[in-house]
Amino acid sequence: MAYILQQLLTKSAALYPEKTAVWARGRSITYRELDQRSNQLAQLLHQHGVRKGDRVGIYFPKAIESVISMFAVIKAGGVYVPLDPAAPADRVSYIIGNCGIRVLITNDEKRRGLGEATLSTLDLAVLTDLELKSGNGGKIAPWSMLSQYSATDKPAVSLTETDLAYILYTSGSTGRPKGVMLSHQNALTFVEWCAATFHITSEDHLSNHAPLHFDLSVFDVYNTIEAGATVYLVTEDIALFPVTLANFIESKGITVWYSVPSQLILLLLHANLKREKLAKLRTVLFAGEVFPMKYLRQLSELLPHVDLYNLYGPTETNVCTYYKVEPNRLDSMDKLPIGIACENTEVFAINDQDQIVTAPGESGELYVRGPAVTYGYWADAEKTAKMVVPNRFQKNFQENMYRTGDLVTLAEDGNYYFMGRRDSMIKSRGYRIELGEIESALLSHPGVKEAAALAVPDDVVGNRIKAVVSTHEAKPLPSSELQTFCAAKIPKYMIPELIEFMEDLPKTSTGKIDRVRLAQAVPV
Amino acid sequence: MTTANNTQPAIKDQIREFIQENLASVKGITSFRDDESLMENGVIDSLGIFRLVTFLEESFGVRIGDEEINPENLKTVDTIEQLVLAKSKK
Repeated sequence: MAYILQQLLTKSAALYPEKTAVWARGRSITYRELDQRSNQLAQLLHQHGVRKGDRVGIYFPKAIESVISMFAVIKAGGVYVPLDPAAPADRVSYIIGNCGIRVLITNDEKRRGLGEATLSTLDLAVLTDLELKSGNGGKIAPWSMLSQYSATDKPAVSLTETDLAYILYTSGSTGRPKGVMLSHQNALTFVEWCAATFHITSEDHLSNHAPLHFDLSVFDVYNTIEAGATVYLVTEDIALFPVTLANFIESKGITVWYSVPSQLILLLLHANLKREKLAKLRTVLFAGEVFPMKYLRQLSELLPHVDLYNLYGPTETNVCTYYKVEPNRLDSMDKLPIGIACENTEVFAINDQDQIVTAPGESGELYVRGPAVTYGYWADAEKTAKMVVPNRFQKNFQENMYRTGDLVTLAEDGNYYFMGRRDSMIKSRGYRIELGEIESALLSHPGVKEAAALAVPDDVVGNRIKAVVSTHEAKPLPSSELQTFCAAKIPKYMIPELIEFMEDLPKTSTGKIDRVRLAQAVPV
Repeated sequence: MTTANNTQPAIKDQIREFIQENLASVKGITSFRDDESLMENGVIDSLGIFRLVTFLEESFGVRIGDEEINPENLKTVDTIEQLVLAKSKK
């Protein structure tokens, strides 16, 4: 049994050296090559000072080199931090500074976009493209340097399962993203549960639709490697076009698919899907947002041969509950459950009286305990102490549990149902979005006096974002100016699609923005 | 169609203007070239594509099938114009 993630690769490289491990953008790599290339990169990183626990950024559009980089960093004892290549440079620079990244694996274009202030903090940039151009701010190593290192050696580091493997940044309510720290054990708890539950074998073809900074990709990459299967990375040229994506699923013989529901809905609505085309597909997993029942019924009818699973869990626990869709119950259900706890995890709801919910029909906030739970947020003890709390129901030893902030109801059938959030976090296209982060971006514009971001429910993407703003000057700013301004601070999926202007935003008696009255004033 | 109509902006201008106002600005993108990949620069996302197709169908009286919504046809302002021109001839 593996206790650190790279052991999954070592095992599969020995069993299936010539098998394709990863395919992306028309290129593929075998298990032997993946193992050897990641050994070489690990040595390069080690030689340039990467030691146990050091954070290494991975910052370029998804490619074979992404998976090589992930394994190389952990083989060097480091902690990888996937950085969204589509995020504004300002946000990426913040993350680089926040978790003290001094070595970055990137490409020439992305590196240049970062700006001198950030580049000067780096010790090394490894460039995945061969071109070597001169630049200031730290040393540069081209990918071609890998061949100088032995393919079979790797740095001697001693890691245990409780060491960190990666940090995933998600939206933060205070206006800055926060880094969720995940250990090898956190990841393997999920990977082993998936392997046992979905029976992934070396014959399987998995897709990877989610970006690598999104925790859904942990399943795609590591469960592929665990089983000796093949993962096909879905890049933007495929993902955007439903018909192209459907052809990809068919031609690559994808057997296991995992994505947010909105991508599956786009496939349903616009890909003219035929059962015969998806004959090889056997399991579809979805997570990240609520799947509207009308579309789930259509998907289930279209794919009667496919097992559908709703997976639930914040990044802090990866996945903690699941529900296997029962097609014969779909017609009578008006809401999809998030299900029951994964077998190696425990969840419970705590009600307002601070008691664990045991009776059907009762509601409470969902808590998670077990080896899947994060240690907390990088360099943010305050936020960590709020969310990763001592388990007061455990009398015999000390342990932590994660409070999800999600309100759930326990139903007669033993399943939990998601009811809503305690705070102002929303989901759009599966992305976690703190409305506060959007408001903070708007408020940093010198012309803006007050700002409130609102979620507008949408059948396909979950939520669209609208903002209401008041300005210092009497005349409103052009929406496009504010959107452009936001684009330098927050990712594209967080920028309000619609911005309305009011003279003053309605307030509650305590002086806070009154969201109820606001929603009435600007009907969505 | 090589001559621009005097009373209506050329097809390409209308396409560019729609994309700028409805898809690019909301992502904070202020300019793009006619031969620039709208996928790589992030102007078009999975929902924007369908807004664009609806606009093309309504503005130019063409019908675009799901099969034609592909990266070859919708990659750049130039290729979108070619798609509309090819469809209008039929």
